Amino acid sequence: MTTIDESASTVTRRRRFSTRRARAGRMFVAPNLASVAVFMLFPLGFSLYMSWQNWDLFRPAKFVGLANYHNLFAEDPLFVIALRNTVVYTVGTVVPTVLISLAVAGVLNRKVKGISIFRTIIFLPLAVSSVVMAVVWQFVFNTNNGLLNIMLGWIGIGPVPWLVDPKWAMLSLCTVSVWRSVPFATVILLAAMQGVPDNLYEAARLDGAGELRQFVSITVPLIRAAVSFVVVISIIHAFQAFDLVYVLTGHNGGPETATYVFGIMLFQHAFGFLEFGYASALAWVIFAILLVLTALQLRLGRRRAAQEERSWA
Amino acid sequence: MQDDALTFFFAANPEEADARQRVVDAFARRHPDIKVRMLLSGSDPLQHMSIYCAGGKCPDVLMAWDLTYAGLADRGVLLDLNTMLAQDKAFAAQLKAESISPLYQTFTFDGGQYALPEQWSGNFLFYNKKLFADAGVRPPPGRWEQRWSFYEFLDTAQALTKRGRSGRVSQWGYVDSWVASYAAGLFGMNNGVPWCTPRMNPTHLNFDNQTFLEGIQFYADLAHKHRVAPTSSDTQSMSTMDLFTSGRAAMALGGHWRYQTVDRANGLDFDIAVLPTGPKGRTARSNIGTTGLAIAASSRRKQQAWEFVKFATGPVGQAVIAESGLFVPVLRSAITSTGFAAAHARIDNLPVLTGGPAHSQGMPITPEWIKIAALMDRNIGPVLRGARPATSLANGLSRAVDEVLRNS
Repeated sequence: MTTIDESASTVTRRRRFSTRRARAGRMFVAPNLASVAVFMLFPLGFSLYMSWQNWDLFRPAKFVGLANYHNLFAEDPLFVIALRNTVVYTVGTVVPTVLISLAVAGVLNRKVKGISIFRTIIFLPLAVSSVVMAVVWQFVFNTNNGLLNIMLGWIGIGPVPWLVDPKWAMLSLCTVSVWRSVPFATVILLAAMQGVPDNLYEAARLDGAGELRQFVSITVPLIRAAVSFVVVISIIHAFQAFDLVYVLTGHNGGPETATYVFGIMLFQHAFGFLEFGYASALAWVIFAILLVLTALQLRLGRRRAAQEERSWA
Repeated sequence: MQDDALTFFFAANPEEADARQRVVDAFARRHPDIKVRMLLSGSDPLQHMSIYCAGGKCPDVLMAWDLTYAGLADRGVLLDLNTMLAQDKAFAAQLKAESISPLYQTFTFDGGQYALPEQWSGNFLFYNKKLFADAGVRPPPGRWEQRWSFYEFLDTAQALTKRGRSGRVSQWGYVDSWVASYAAGLFGMNNGVPWCTPRMNPTHLNFDNQTFLEGIQFYADLAHKHRVAPTSSDTQSMSTMDLFTSGRAAMALGGHWRYQTVDRANGLDFDIAVLPTGPKGRTARSNIGTTGLAIAASSRRKQQAWEFVKFATGPVGQAVIAESGLFVPVLRSAITSTGFAAAHARIDNLPVLTGGPAHSQGMPITPEWIKIAALMDRNIGPVLRGARPATSLANGLSRAVDEVLRNS
């Protein structure tokens, strides 16, 4: 009887303990959950609600159904311009970023004396704020006295109006964006490269593969997941571009509409024109585009991985 | 922290902030029972004000700009001051007698009076007397009644533009320190065509008027055809005002808000002049640039705010402003006062300032101005870059602007 009582009381104690643990766990998670609810879920829901309204902060919001979306797609010529510019900016940022980061990570992955110094140097731009970086690049891009044009002058090339001429402004913007994105992408790719087993390279070397061949046939396929992650994150960052554009080419996304991207369009409608409903609709359209792009990419990635598995089998 | 204080929101450069402080100090001496807390704006005052007001912390007294106040008035942010004027008949009568009507009417929107004007900030020309004398060029006229043609202005600018051996310009004939697309419109207006008719709540702007566009083209040609004014590339490393104050530009377009900067420039001997008139214009006109003081509709201290607005825009406050020399006051008594003249003793052409408000023509007053300004910036850009003729605005910009105005 005593044994049964003892085991029952042990079970009860354990239960109490696990209940207390669960409660404590919930208590620990609660602040985080609350902040997610307040700062993420509520704004998300609110912006979806606002996208069906006309609201200028001062007058009561007025329900307009899908009119904001209709105006965006059918009436606003700047939407197409912003979409085109954002796509150009995204491609002009993501492709060079991935290629340069792969090359840089490949170089930094070598076991050479003093490599840690180079690794530190390459990561330095990560520590600088985007706005500070944009201001510095403004000086670099100065038409008459900028560092870039001075250097081009040494090889006989006349001054290029980097930020003043619409033909050059997007290229300038992409250059700065690549400069900013490369360190982060390099960190991710380098970490992935360091996880590739050395024996694969040894085997490849025994088979007579050179450095480039090893990189293309071993490193890149084995870090595909990291490359995919970098591409997804870079696309998301590029679609959200705002700070660099605002500082480099102004709040209108100028000159003319050369750098008028979604981020600038959203900011202008929300905080310039006080059209919060319209800006919310635009935010959800951007979200939908990103969702489709990411889903497509994940699907393609999975299909490719499955094909590779089949080919190995 | 003075939580019971009246809050006063304004934008100013450091020199202007000093003047504001003087007006507030003078008010405090007369009204020791009303504490005033000054709120200096960030780089975008309209955005700053909107955020304050939307967040339920609208300052009691707000600085109002001629071009942007209508957006706030239309949204019910600003109090219709007619309600206060109706209770203060003596002040209303005094204001009516002393006010310069176009400035006062600038803040009359949809039947309400949403601000009282405080300063005139229209544009005119600053010129470097020494550079004119060295080049043997006759100074520009200093009275609005004296006509100075676009071509005389161009000849003068050409005579004062100097190039080095490499062809690089070492001294510009003319620089512009205002918003370039607005300045282009100012030249269009001085070719004899107003920005729009009517001025308040227009449904059409004259960007399709050939005469107005000829004025814009003349302005654009200064930089690209005649090379007497810097392009946007030329001003990337040095602001236009720095070019003028350092003696590297002979004439600069700007308003009185630039006066302190020019006045404090080392060794600069300057005066001011009227704007040139186009072949189809009759007399030179400045723009009715004006700022006023408004009261927030949500203010819990409306009576105290009214006392402050009355003071700053009335004879006493205007006299303080006149003596400070930091603004051009808007009441006749202040603008013609000896205090204002003494504060500008350095210049000979004082009538450019004293006659400015009466020789000004308005820019459009519409709640949609921010959108129109963005369209202008985008569409006038290629014209100012020399990539397209001003006539191209008749189709693109004009239609886009009219659509915005129609949908408002």
